[in-house]
Amino acid sequence: MAGELLKVDDLKMHFHTRDGVVKAVDGVSYTLNPGETLGVVGESGSGKSVTALTMMRLIPMPPGKIEGGEVLFKGESMLTMKEEQVRDIRGNRIAMIFQDPMTSLNPVYRIGHQIAEPLITHKGMSKKEAHARAVELLEMVGIPNAASRARDYPHQFSGGMRQRAMIAMALSCDPDVLIADEPTTALDVTIQAQILELMQALQKRTGTAIIMITHDLGVVADIANNILVMYAGRAVEYGSTDQVFYEPSHPYTWGLMDSLPTHDLTEKSTLCPIEGQPPSLLNVPSGCPFNPRCPYVKEECRTTVPELRDLGDGHLSACLFAADPDFKRSAADCAGVTR
Amino acid sequence: MFRYILKRFAQFIPVFIGVTLLLFFITTILPGDPVALRAGEKKLSPAVYAEMRHAFGLDKPWYVQYVNYLGDLTQGDLGTSIASGRKVEVIFKETYPYTLKLALAAITLEILVGIGAGLISAIKQYTFWDTLVTLSTSILVALPVFWLGIMLQYVFGIQLHILPISGASSARFSDFAHLVLPAITLASVSTAYAARIMRSQLLEVQSQDYVRTAYAKGLSPTRVLWGHEMKNALIPVVTFVGLDLGAMLSGAILTETIFNWPGVGFTIYKAIGQRDFPVVFGGVTIVLFAVLFVNLLVDVSYAFLDPRIRFGDASEG
Repeated sequence: MAGELLKVDDLKMHFHTRDGVVKAVDGVSYTLNPGETLGVVGESGSGKSVTALTMMRLIPMPPGKIEGGEVLFKGESMLTMKEEQVRDIRGNRIAMIFQDPMTSLNPVYRIGHQIAEPLITHKGMSKKEAHARAVELLEMVGIPNAASRARDYPHQFSGGMRQRAMIAMALSCDPDVLIADEPTTALDVTIQAQILELMQALQKRTGTAIIMITHDLGVVADIANNILVMYAGRAVEYGSTDQVFYEPSHPYTWGLMDSLPTHDLTEKSTLCPIEGQPPSLLNVPSGCPFNPRCPYVKEECRTTVPELRDLGDGHLSACLFAADPDFKRSAADCAGVTR
Repeated sequence: MFRYILKRFAQFIPVFIGVTLLLFFITTILPGDPVALRAGEKKLSPAVYAEMRHAFGLDKPWYVQYVNYLGDLTQGDLGTSIASGRKVEVIFKETYPYTLKLALAAITLEILVGIGAGLISAIKQYTFWDTLVTLSTSILVALPVFWLGIMLQYVFGIQLHILPISGASSARFSDFAHLVLPAITLASVSTAYAARIMRSQLLEVQSQDYVRTAYAKGLSPTRVLWGHEMKNALIPVVTFVGLDLGAMLSGAILTETIFNWPGVGFTIYKAIGQRDFPVVFGGVTIVLFAVLFVNLLVDVSYAFLDPRIRFGDASEG
């Protein structure tokens, strides 16, 4: 396929620890086209962030070790290129923002300086030019009095403002891809909405492709073109947002949807959480990794490792029975949490 | 900032009064008589003895002596040595430069070796160099200073004859050579601590989110280390070294005594032996102001290192 911006193919990142091998990412694939948004969804510890950090070669190795797979950025392998070349891509062609804006900015440097840094590094700007550009960027992300706020330190910014500053920093070099690792998780709900709106507006303006990593299906529903659902370091479902939302085909995706609160406050609805805990990645259950928690589990699930299979139109599912017409999602029925 | 510094200067007063009062009180319960000690073996006639005690104000109760001391101090008069009869200001004007010289030499050593070793140890974590630094700092911390001083004298002075073991100057060695062993001895323990603090701070900073952000921006490891990690990791090290400088400026009694270094510490040590109270009080007074002043400098320097620290009068948005 021509025009692919980023292609991740069967990526495996394992951590060799004293207790054994932690298979944090165990065969993840996706493609990202220019200007698109990919939502990566899963519980904590499903390998969402590690996938992104592996791509950027930001995982210290050892203990991490890439056990296989490939990451192609504009057709070039990110995993085999020289460190200098990767540095040239980081913050320049692919930028990242992180979950906790309170700790992701360096406390001893002024906001403006931190935004200017990638411009000086990648664009060869002088300090003065870069600072002027940093002020423009702060204006662009909606910081009032940008010229004076650029001289503030991170502790003088609120959480939402810091995340705006992080976005300004990430977009400073006009990257092709913006990886947002749970960008709204540490923020309160009203600020979350503002940050998501800001990211959408900026994407429209700059044409940057976004990888939105989140545990919240609601966050990606409006903004993603494609969705990748991850569980225990593997992809369990992948498809367009419509396919995943309207024809979800993996019991884990069903579970994620049932555990979303509805906005209908008049109806006495229940939240249906997925029972149990995600498996330890040191010791992933045999067969389908979701089988101990799956309400639809059958005998084969305990022995056969399901492959990602195409259900048509590029909609992939890693459930053994996804193609079975009789295998249907039953109405959410659980002891649940009554609201 | 200005108001903060004024406030800190005002705080000097209670600290000063507390320390000197305590000191005066202790001298009253200390056995030994400075006048008798000055006379030595020979017995003084009661008349001469009483006259001398009167001349040095020792016949008055301690609180009267204290008030007299304060009164003289406001006029810049630290009194007269009972043992030598010289003015106390003159004694310390002669000895303080030696203490200053030794302190600066030791602190330079501490900064270069301590921070350098800590840095190498953290960057090369779990390698031979890291083990070497960790092990040698553990040993240094555990060694008694006087033992280390004596061993250095024995090896470099007595056995190898390459460095002097006593005093601040001689015909045979340069002044710099005289400084080497006392400076190493004085710096040893704090250098080990500085290295350990540097190492642990840098390792802690390296796992911070903002370091990951710096790498994600595409900065080189060198830029991340010097720009983002060191500036954060150095804050506690500067605190430690600053407080240590204060301690060194107060005269290192052990080191100065071992090496016969004619500094403040050695002078006070000798004065205590002779019950030469005016010299002891004068020395403590000078040292007290030096320590308070350096501590203030350290606190003010925080504000420049760590923007999160601002003083009471700063307006925050």
